[in-house]
This record gives sequence, C-alpha cells and structure tokens, in this order.
Amino acid sequence: MRTWIKSASFAIAATALLGLAGTAGAGETIKIGVTQPLTGAVAASGNYVVQGAKIAESFVNESGGVLGHKIELIVEDNKSNPKEAVATAEKLIVRDKVTVMMGAWSSTYTLAVMPKLMEYGVPMVVETSSSGKITTSGNPWIFRISPTSAMEAQSFGTKVDQFDIKKADFLVVNNDWGRGAASEFKKMLEGKGISVGVVETMDAKAQDLSAQLAKIKASGGDTLFVTSGVEQITLILKQVKEQRVSHRIITTGGSSSPDQLIAQAGAAAEGSYHLLFFAPWFPEAAPNPDVAKKFVDEWNKRGHNFAGLTEGFRGHDGIMTIAAGIEAAGKVDSDAIRQALWGVKVDGVNGDIAFIKQGPAGKESGQNVPNVYIVTIRDGKVALP
Amino acid sequence: MDQFLQHLLNATMLGGTYALLGIGLTLIFGIMRVVNFTHGELYTFGAYMVFFFTMTLSANFFLALVFAMVLGIALGAAIEFVLLRRLRGASIDTTMLVMIGAWIAMQNTEQLAWTGVAKSVNHPFPIDPLVIGPVSVSWIRIFVFCVAIMLIVGTHLLIHRTRLGKAMRSTFQDRETAALMGVNINAIHTATFALGSGLAAAAGALLGPVFVLVPGMGDMAALKSFAIVILGGMGNFMGAALGGFLLALVEELGAGYISSGYRDGMGFLIIIVVLIFRPTGLFARAERIG
Amino acid sequence: MNRWATGLWVGFLFSIPLWMTDQYYLHILIVAGIFIIAAMSLNLLLGYTGQLSLGHVAFFGIGGYTSALVSLGFDLELTDSYTFVFPAQPVWIAFLAGIVVAGFFGWLIGKISFKVRGAYFVIVTISFAEVVRLVALNWIDLTEGPMALNNIPPFTLGVPGLWELTFWRKIPNYYLVLVTCILSYVVIARLVGSRLGRAMIALRENEPLAASVGVDVTRSLVLAAVVSAAIAGAAGGLYTHYIRIIDPDVFLFIYTVTMVIMVVTGGKGTLAGPIVGGLIFGILPEALREVASPEMQWVIYGVLMILIVYFLPDGIVPAVSSWWKERFDAPPKTGEERA
Repeated sequence: MRTWIKSASFAIAATALLGLAGTAGAGETIKIGVTQPLTGAVAASGNYVVQGAKIAESFVNESGGVLGHKIELIVEDNKSNPKEAVATAEKLIVRDKVTVMMGAWSSTYTLAVMPKLMEYGVPMVVETSSSGKITTSGNPWIFRISPTSAMEAQSFGTKVDQFDIKKADFLVVNNDWGRGAASEFKKMLEGKGISVGVVETMDAKAQDLSAQLAKIKASGGDTLFVTSGVEQITLILKQVKEQRVSHRIITTGGSSSPDQLIAQAGAAAEGSYHLLFFAPWFPEAAPNPDVAKKFVDEWNKRGHNFAGLTEGFRGHDGIMTIAAGIEAAGKVDSDAIRQALWGVKVDGVNGDIAFIKQGPAGKESGQNVPNVYIVTIRDGKVALP
Repeated sequence: MDQFLQHLLNATMLGGTYALLGIGLTLIFGIMRVVNFTHGELYTFGAYMVFFFTMTLSANFFLALVFAMVLGIALGAAIEFVLLRRLRGASIDTTMLVMIGAWIAMQNTEQLAWTGVAKSVNHPFPIDPLVIGPVSVSWIRIFVFCVAIMLIVGTHLLIHRTRLGKAMRSTFQDRETAALMGVNINAIHTATFALGSGLAAAAGALLGPVFVLVPGMGDMAALKSFAIVILGGMGNFMGAALGGFLLALVEELGAGYISSGYRDGMGFLIIIVVLIFRPTGLFARAERIG
Repeated sequence: MNRWATGLWVGFLFSIPLWMTDQYYLHILIVAGIFIIAAMSLNLLLGYTGQLSLGHVAFFGIGGYTSALVSLGFDLELTDSYTFVFPAQPVWIAFLAGIVVAGFFGWLIGKISFKVRGAYFVIVTISFAEVVRLVALNWIDLTEGPMALNNIPPFTLGVPGLWELTFWRKIPNYYLVLVTCILSYVVIARLVGSRLGRAMIALRENEPLAASVGVDVTRSLVLAAVVSAAIAGAAGGLYTHYIRIIDPDVFLFIYTVTMVIMVVTGGKGTLAGPIVGGLIFGILPEALREVASPEMQWVIYGVLMILIVYFLPDGIVPAVSSWWKERFDAPPKTGEERA
C-alpha cells in the first residue's frame, strides 16, 4: 500500500514536472478550471455558482467520474475585475494545466478571458454572461449555456400576450448586461407593436433612483422592465412604492432572487414578475424534474442559501456539460473536448443543454438555447403566474 | 409639471442628508486642515451599526440610530487619537496619505465583517407614502429629513452658542493665539474630528434603512461630500449646508431632464467648474487654505 | 548605484525569460512592469514636484483607450448625414497616438488644476479621473461604454505587408515592457537632472522662494504634467494591447491608489523608488494569493501605507541607501538617489 502511494505520488510529480497533464495517469484526477468572482462587487453570485459547481463535481465523482477518473475543480477568484480574470486564466492554463474551463460570470470578465482561450487553445463553458458579443466575435473555444439577452427577449416574446402591455419603460443598470437587455427587449416589444417610453440607466452603485423613477412615472407606461442585481431591484421596488409609480414591474436577466426580494423589500415586492432561468420552488416544473429535484435537495442538504439557487444551478449545469464533453472526447485533450462539446446532450437543471453555432463561419462559438421561467410574488410567496 | 414638482421634492429630501454629510467633512477640514478620506467609511459604519442593533440584537429602531451615532463619534475620536494626533503640523499631503491608508483598511475590514451580500434594515414607518396633490414622499424620508435638519441646526448652535464651539472657532481662525488663550488644542481637534465623524455616521444610520447596505456604499457618499464641500467652500459651514441642497437639485434635474447616466457625475463636473472659475466656493468667504 | 551595478541589474532583467520557464511568473512580471512605468510617471509629479495628483489613472486610461481605438478603428456619427470614419492603424502608431493624447490631456489638466494647490489640487485631480470614467462609460458610440472594447490586437512592430512582428506570447511582451520601462526611466532621469528638474525640486521645497528667483511655476509644473501623463499613457497602451480588453473600470480610483502606494513605499522623489515599490506590490498579491483573501490583502496594504508614512516617511530606497552608506562608509554620492 505504502509503495503504491509512493509510486502514485511519484507519477504525479513526474507528470507535473514534464508538464504532461492532459494524459491523466491512473488514479489521477482530471482538472477543470473555474474562474468566478469570489470577492468584490459581485462576489455573492460568483460564490453561489461555485457552490453549484462543487455539487456537480460530487455528483460526477459519485457516479464513477469520467473516463475512469475523478474530476477536480480548481477554483480561482477573478476579484470582480477583468485584469484579474485574465490573471486567473493564465494561472489555470499555464500553471495548473487545465484542459477545459468554466467562467467567468460577467460578460466583461468573460470577454477579457477570451483572447487567452485562443492563445492557448482551451475551451471554456460560459455559465452566466449574456452579452451577444461573446458568441459572435469568432472565438471557437467558447460554449455558452446561459441565454443571451436576445434569447431571453425572444422567449419572453412568446408569452408577452398574457401581460397585455400597452407601453413599456426601462430602468437598467449601466453596463453591458443592462444596456443589452434594454435594447433586445425594446426590439422585441416594438416588433409586437408595443410602444416603448423611456430607457433610463443607473450606476451599478447608485442607491437613490428617485429621479429616474419620477421620469418613468411621467412617461405614462404600464410596465417597467428592470435589469440589475438583486440589491438594486430591492431599492427600485421600495422606491417605486414611495413615488407611487403604478407600472407593473418585470425583472429580466435571471439574477433577481425573489426570496431575497421578499425578505428585504417586503410588501413592496408584491405583484412583481421575474424572468428566471431556474425556478427552484417548482423543480417539478423543470424539463428534467429529477435532475432539478436532486440538485435542489443536495443544495439544501449542504445548507447553502436557498436564495442562491437561481445562480447556483449555472455552476452545476456548466460542470455537467464539461464532464459530458470530456467523456465524449474520450481523452483529456483541449481540442478533442472542444470538438466533443458540439455533440453533447446534457440533462441540465435549466433544461436540455446542446449547442448551436453562432458567429462567423469557420470560427463559430457554441450557444445553448436555455429555458426561461416567469415567476411572480403573491402573498409574500413565490408563485407561478 | 408634476414631474418637476416631484423632482423638487426628491431633491429637498436628498439635500438634507447631503448637507449633513457636507458639514461633517467641512468642519474637519476647516478646523483641522485634514482631508478626511475616511468620511465615507464612517457613513458606512453608521449604517451597519443600525443594521447590527436592529436586525441582529433586535433593538428599538430609534435607539439604534442613537447608538450608531454615538459609536460613530467614538470611532472618530479613536481615529483622531491614534492616527492624526502625531501628525499635527505635518504637511497636508502626509495626512492625506495616512487617511487614504485608513480608508482602504476600513473599507476592506467592513467587507470582511459584513460580506458583499447586501443587507436591509427594517424600519417602523408605513410603506405607503404621504401623498400631497400630484407628488408623494415616503414617511421614512420625511423622518430622515427632519432629523438631518435637526442635526444641522444643532451643530450650528453648538458651534455658535457654546464654549466648545467658541474654542473650535478660535482654533479655526488662529490656532497659536487660541492656544495661548488656554484653549486645549488637542482636545479641540479630537472633539472636532469626533463631531464630524458622528455626523457622517448619523447620515449613514439615517439613510441605511432607506436604501440597502453594501460595504462599498461609502465611496459614493464620500465623493459627494467632497463635491458639496468644494461647492460651499472648504471650511464654510453654511456653504456646505447650501451646497448639499444644490448638489441634490442639480443631480435630480440633471437625471430627470438631461441623462441619468451622468447623474452621479454631476458632482464631479461641479467640482471642476467651481475650482476653475471660483476656487473659494460659490458661497465664498475670505477664508481659504492654499 | 554605480554603472556596474546598473548594468548588472539590466542584464539580469534581460536574462529572466531565458531561465524563467514558468510563463505565469512572466505574466506577473509583465503586469508589474506596466504598473512600474505608471508609478514612475506618477513619481515625477508626486515625488519631484510635490503635487499629490490622485487622478493619475486618467492618463493611463486615456492612453489605453486611445491606443485601443486607433488600432481598432472607429466611426462617429457627427451629424445625421456625416459620419467620421477612422480606419484601423498599425498598433505601434496607435501606441504613439495614445502617448500623444495622454500628454495633451496632461497639458490641459495641468493648465486647469495647477491654479490650485494642496487639498484643492487633490480633489480636482480625483474629480477629473471620475469625469473621464463617466465619459468612457456613457459615450457608447465611441467607447462601447460598459460593453468594453475587446478583441484589441496585440502589439505589433513594422509595416503591414512588408515586415511585421506581432507580440502574441509572453516573452516578446516581457521585453517590450522592459524596454519601455528603461526608456521611461532614462527620460525621467534626464528630466530630473536638467534645469527644469532642478526648478521642479525647488518648487517642491519652497514654492514662493523658487518663484522669487525666477522659476516659472506654472510652466514647470505643466511640463512635468505633460511628460508624466505621456508616460502613463504609454503604460496604458501596453496594458491595453497585452490584456486586450479595456473597460471604464480601468479609471477606478483604486488603481491610482495602487500607484501611490508603490511610489510612497519605494520612496517618492527617488528614481529607484517606484521600481522597488512596483516590484513589491506587483509580486506581493501573488505571494499572498493563497494565504490571504483580497480584502485581507487590502487591509494589510492600507495599514502598511500608514506605517510607512509614520516610520519610513521617505520610503524604502532612501532608507536602504542611507543604511548602506553608514554601514560601508561609502563617500557621499551626488544627485543619483535623492535628487
């Protein structure tokens, strides 16, 4: 036994020395790099994604791993900062020799990492970012499971009739996510003959939104689309009440965490609608109820914050996709995994994951067509509309 | 027109707290010649203390406000005693470097202590607003406004009607003579910094329940305080109070009628314009430090 | 440091990529080098003229944005009928453009902000950086705003079609940063040793006195600001073409603070100070990555900054060189360290 450990550790040391990771020897783990914002402005979301990813890691390993090996996540903190996102990609690829990655939450961090994927030829599964640019800029190493704002808008478009919107206004955070959502939803609504009033932006750190809301109130629409993080949505719900803005509120982007809104905005959250990519209150309503149920149970068992599930599932689906990619590739090799990812079919928490081609011919990126759910807050509880 | 009236009302409510932030900073600058980079962190501290007392210890909301302000005063006194006392007479740049270091350390300590997840404070006021004709305002904001005005008036009286205030003003005008006349300069410095800090903590304690709490919330507050102080003229008490209302008005109308993207930039534009054309502030007095 | 030691140092720096096989360390050195260049440029204002400019990151960002835009090309809809189209240029031209534009802003800001001193100067420079950040954030037609400029080409030298060298990999980028670093050092050393440099130092020590003996105060300060801004712009250009994305967060106050910490720790008003400070604070975060969270690191840096102001007010370099002199009783040197 002892000699076995010795020789195994010697083998690991030797492969590390020779830089031969990628040809995993017996007993060795397959490393998957994860870059997420674990500290800084959007740390809460990044940590939820990692918690979800860790659950997927144990699920995969409990069912025997991939290609006979266990998988191992190497998680790096990109500190909510594009420069650090690049540094984490460098570290994961160059030092830890990962052959495939997942990251990097915000579109800005993902865009920052993308040239590194090209440089070193490592595929990355993108779990959260929504910017259209990511899959259209001709980077064949990108496989995105999260929806673009355009997809979210289209998906909502199929259900827009039940809301009977006459005129819509927008209040979005002033970043790629907010602005992207505003322009795509505007396009979709106008295509349906619904008029659009004002599009207001707010600084990501802004707390007093009374000026924007006074303007929105004067615009006279009946529905207000809000895209921002849960903190700002909380503020908006409270301040909408104060200013007697009569709009119906619909939040987009899937980061609204209705439970946190109920806890922090109280009665002001009543009657608001939220577009989500996973509705953990109703796992049975998911396309793969077993997968969703198993994930939610494990999340609760580990004592994670229930409100984090709407972010955490992304990590789970991302790692499951990567594991399927490695299995299909048959070997731990970046290019083989990249090619294999085109063919994977994964039963994710969000739904069935498969990639379609986007971007310039010959250099297409992979894009999944995810499901979008709508929930509302009724009597202080999350409900299906 | 209704929109304009609503903007005016919003600006007035916001202006009260801006004025409170501004006078705290201008006091410290006027008397101590210290550019207080920790101002925003005391604001954050005040807000989190209210959260701690009401949400964690379930204390009474109003009592929590008082506690937060008292602790802000204590923290301010501690900063002055530990960091600034030994720098008396050092150049303004040296003290600025120390205050920047303190700002970084404090902000990240708050981040470690409270994590990045936003916190929310419950308050006892009704959620339905007060409606006055075409405009409306929430009860908590009326309360915040009234307390802010009371604190501003109280500080004004403290400075102009008490012995302590007299000693502060004489230190401000001529510290050597004041010292010769038996004013304890060290005590005055500590008292001034503690008072300014207490006002910042009070502003945070009052606005915390209105908004949500995040560890970086002080940055915006600090930068706005700087704009207000420049607008009013550094060390000018009434200037800072008026400057607070003026900044709120410019922000509100700028966001309402020009572009909301630049809302929080109005303060900086004001700083640059004022410093180019009228570096002593809009409400100038002769007093200015070069 | 004498000529030999300097030569040895430079030789050592040039040899690093030959034996450093871990590319990740090179990455850290490249980023540290870029920040060292920025810190050296800040030192010209902070250390030599004694002006605490806290908006320095604006020049870094302007250089970066200009270089990115010129290398990518852009179009601006000036009126409904006329659109100004700027075609993409080779990266080295873009890089030079970044330096020139940053220098121009240095002149403009110098003209405006040197009217005031002390606290006012500090606040006007901070405000300037914030205004530039807000413009970068909101002028979406030009800068893409928060969507960031991405796919920025890596650095290239030469003429397209004839002969071109593209800096894709770590090693060429390392040498590029190193050479820029040395050039900036030489420019600053020359400037500080010149008549203008002596005027600047005289200003720092006693402004009324310097003015009374005929130093043109504003002119000297503005010139220093132009050179300083241009070098910061060069650092920004290097950053942009190495990281290959730029977004408005590059203008955040915390980057200025990083540069200030580097300068103050190393020794303001010394040529070697920013290099020592830059190396320490470029490498320390990596050394601490495993043991301390970024927040904890920042707490440490904040406290460190306070301690240095108290106990080592001149910074590490002057402290070490005076200790060295005492210890080895070398004859006093002139000009080099504490110019």
